[in-house]
Amino acid sequence: MATAKAKSRVARNLIVLWTVCVLAFLYIPMVAIVLASFSKARYFRFPVPRWTTQWYDKAMDSLSIRDLLWTSLSVATLVTVFSVALAFMGALAFARYDWKGRKLYQRLVLLPIFFPQAVLGLALLLWFSALGITTSWHTAVFAHMVWIVPIVILIMSIQVYSFDPSLEEAAYDLGASRFQVLREVTLPILAPGVISGGIFAFLLSWGNFPLSLFSTGADQTVPEWLYSKMVMGYTPMVPTLGSLTMSGAAILIFLFYMVWMIIKSRQSRA
Amino acid sequence: MDETQGAFLELRKVTKKFGNFTAVDEVDLVIAEGEFFTLVGPSGSGKTTMIRLLVGMDQPTGGDINLKGVRLNDVPANKRPTCMVFQDLALFPHKSVGENIEFPLKISGVAPDKRRQRAEQLLKQLRLPVDYYSKGVNQCSGGERQRIALARALAFDPDILFFDEPLSALDFRLRKTLEKELKDIHRETGKTFVYITHSLEEAMVMSDRIGIMRDGKIVQIGTPAAIYNDPINRFVAQFMGEVNTLEVESAGKNTVQDIASGARFKVRAMPDGFTKGALIIRPESVKIGQSAAKLPNRVKGTVYNDYALGSRVQYQVRSETGDMQWLVERLQDEPFDGKAGDKVTLGWQTEDSILVGD
Amino acid sequence: MQGQANRFLSWLRQPGVLNAVPASLFLLIGFAGPLLMVFGYSFMPPKTFSLFQEPTLANYSSVVSDSYYISFFWSLTLAAATVVILFFICYPIAYGMAKVFGKWANLITVLIAVPLLISENIRLFGWVLVLLKNGILDGSLQAVFGFSASGMLYTVPAIVFGLVYVYLPFMLFPLVIGISMIPDTLKEAASDLGASRWEVFREVELPLAMPGIMIGGILTFILSLGSLAESKILGGQTVVMIADDIESAFTFAQNWPKGSVLSVLLIALSGTIVILLFRRIDLDRIIGRR
Repeated sequence: MATAKAKSRVARNLIVLWTVCVLAFLYIPMVAIVLASFSKARYFRFPVPRWTTQWYDKAMDSLSIRDLLWTSLSVATLVTVFSVALAFMGALAFARYDWKGRKLYQRLVLLPIFFPQAVLGLALLLWFSALGITTSWHTAVFAHMVWIVPIVILIMSIQVYSFDPSLEEAAYDLGASRFQVLREVTLPILAPGVISGGIFAFLLSWGNFPLSLFSTGADQTVPEWLYSKMVMGYTPMVPTLGSLTMSGAAILIFLFYMVWMIIKSRQSRA
Repeated sequence: MDETQGAFLELRKVTKKFGNFTAVDEVDLVIAEGEFFTLVGPSGSGKTTMIRLLVGMDQPTGGDINLKGVRLNDVPANKRPTCMVFQDLALFPHKSVGENIEFPLKISGVAPDKRRQRAEQLLKQLRLPVDYYSKGVNQCSGGERQRIALARALAFDPDILFFDEPLSALDFRLRKTLEKELKDIHRETGKTFVYITHSLEEAMVMSDRIGIMRDGKIVQIGTPAAIYNDPINRFVAQFMGEVNTLEVESAGKNTVQDIASGARFKVRAMPDGFTKGALIIRPESVKIGQSAAKLPNRVKGTVYNDYALGSRVQYQVRSETGDMQWLVERLQDEPFDGKAGDKVTLGWQTEDSILVGD
Repeated sequence: MQGQANRFLSWLRQPGVLNAVPASLFLLIGFAGPLLMVFGYSFMPPKTFSLFQEPTLANYSSVVSDSYYISFFWSLTLAAATVVILFFICYPIAYGMAKVFGKWANLITVLIAVPLLISENIRLFGWVLVLLKNGILDGSLQAVFGFSASGMLYTVPAIVFGLVYVYLPFMLFPLVIGISMIPDTLKEAASDLGASRWEVFREVELPLAMPGIMIGGILTFILSLGSLAESKILGGQTVVMIADDIESAFTFAQNWPKGSVLSVLLIALSGTIVILLFRRIDLDRIIGRR
């Protein structure tokens, strides 16, 4: 009995150790990029001989980088707004109601997530040109949504599944109009799902490369620019801009985490 | 009861079909103002559909629902002066106890301080501490949540309150307490309560009248005593829990014959045209040992098992002919101290023989 | 006719259907439409840009005679290797998250999900900085031990490494769901009945966790199969994967019909796998309604 217990404690510790190692592994490249962004040399080498913050100053001053950030921000913001609206209804249909055809609908929604994005991007490029639409960052919004709306539907559905429909009926029974039911009951209870969906939509669009590559036309988003500079014409702006977008994402995730905690504590207040 | 005079809620041939399935089948029912009426039925009997029609969650496919002489059929749920306490209570998890209770008042535009005053008043009425006002509903116990749901419904000030088996998830003891409290609240508020449950026992404790539902129809309506003493058929009798049932056929005036053993028993009265049916004797009506000796109906048997049930003792007795397991209950202080293996006589009064057709 | 129209209208009026309409229409226009179009182009004569010509199978036969099977072979092999490696990396962690870590599991979930929200390019580029000649790994080894570990970048293992790195969460999360669906009591019952630790794993844990394992495996397989950035950024030009071929057919070669054929083949391959998976799995149960 004692040896079995000791064995399972060893197994437990091994699992913990392994998990910590893999987590560290996930973050190594981010650390590498931040290190590189502070390296003075034009071509990165390690250990870093001299440190500098000059690349950040240059990035802030560069008009083209401001353009890139602005394009990425516009695309991600529009994608977030449209995706959340479409996906909120979509998630209700996915998880809240029972209707004939729901299984088929669920599969239609999931297929784009499982689909190779590069191929999807090329297919959309063909589609736009056949319809006579010139690609620009506007078409990129559409292209991102094809992949992001299903993901947001899935994220919101997790919350919707645990939503008790009798809450809506109870509010309606107590005299609330359909709109009051939505405002007083449905939206507040589903809010965490809607917020997570929105954050995911924003960040996935902000970081997307394969779809942007084929759908932005003459415009360029940050990931596209980074890619083109990685493949040819490396500049230390690559790790710098990389670090900047990573810190942007980190700040957003942190804010989201705070909002989440506030909602949680409000729901279970003593 | 005089139907036209007492009519408050009135159902005329109310029907609800889902495709080919008829969930509620031409139900006629009259409920008086201030009454505590309970619908009892097994799952699938249509009682839940029925209550959903009455509160307006579903629309009937036929018939009329009238409240105080006004046709309710086309009035949506949020415009009806009725309100339901849900099976899972449907308390809003993102609102505090007070906000839950105030919800209907907020919807109808009552000022915040008035709302709060009313909510605190209701908390007191339902024996909840007033400082629960700002507590989260998820921090409350099962019994407290029941009271909050009831308070929220009362805040709506409905003409009729409906209950969809709200007590079914609670443990036995708490259920018993809340049944009695609900009856108190009914008396204090004077409102009309319509309750549905699958437990006749629960219905008996609280109701003025009970309706037994089966396959979308109400098969019997009456006071608890009337239903208990004169179940109209075997189906209604089944709801009484553990009873002794004999398959019998008519054998002359006020006499039936047990088909299995051939024994004859006396009954109070024979329904017109009765040929075959069930003779039902409740365990507590059956006497055992000495006290059974002089009773008009008797069988002999062997004690097989005995169970202590607190204030009562229950015996399982196998009949002499071996075709029947009798259940017998006696109070602790009745004189009998038989044990497993003893040969005994069982007996009951003729007025305890309940005869039902199929 | 009248009856059918009425039935359709009453079906349409259900709240579920009404809510499904916008997203469905969007996906029909944005997903089904383009794919049908790619399918159409795959039957057009090579190097043409119109959809209204005599259909031909020329592209399909040329794909077979050209050496595209090599890039299909590389994609399939690398994807399979990725799935196997990911399974062994993720299983212990998933087990820990489902059964061992308790309240820490939430934090670990967040830590694993966060990198997903940072562009794949940037993260892969981070690995380039690590694996580069005079990069972080090479530089540290030189400084500490005095030997060089350059030449790791732009190799086939580097591509697999990149695939494993990028798709790790897509294997891990389904596994966690799969394993957490195994009731603890079942395992205890099995070992109570005399099963060894290995037998418990093989007879109870593995079969019950199978839905999660299948979803994770197939998800990572399909994503790796269609991947583009890993082979370009970490693999240099060592091997060409099928997504590279598709891209160059559409862009450099300007041969839309050929690119379409390759896409159709890739889609058919992934689609078959996904449809087989969906047949065997109950989505409601896995996503939410337990």
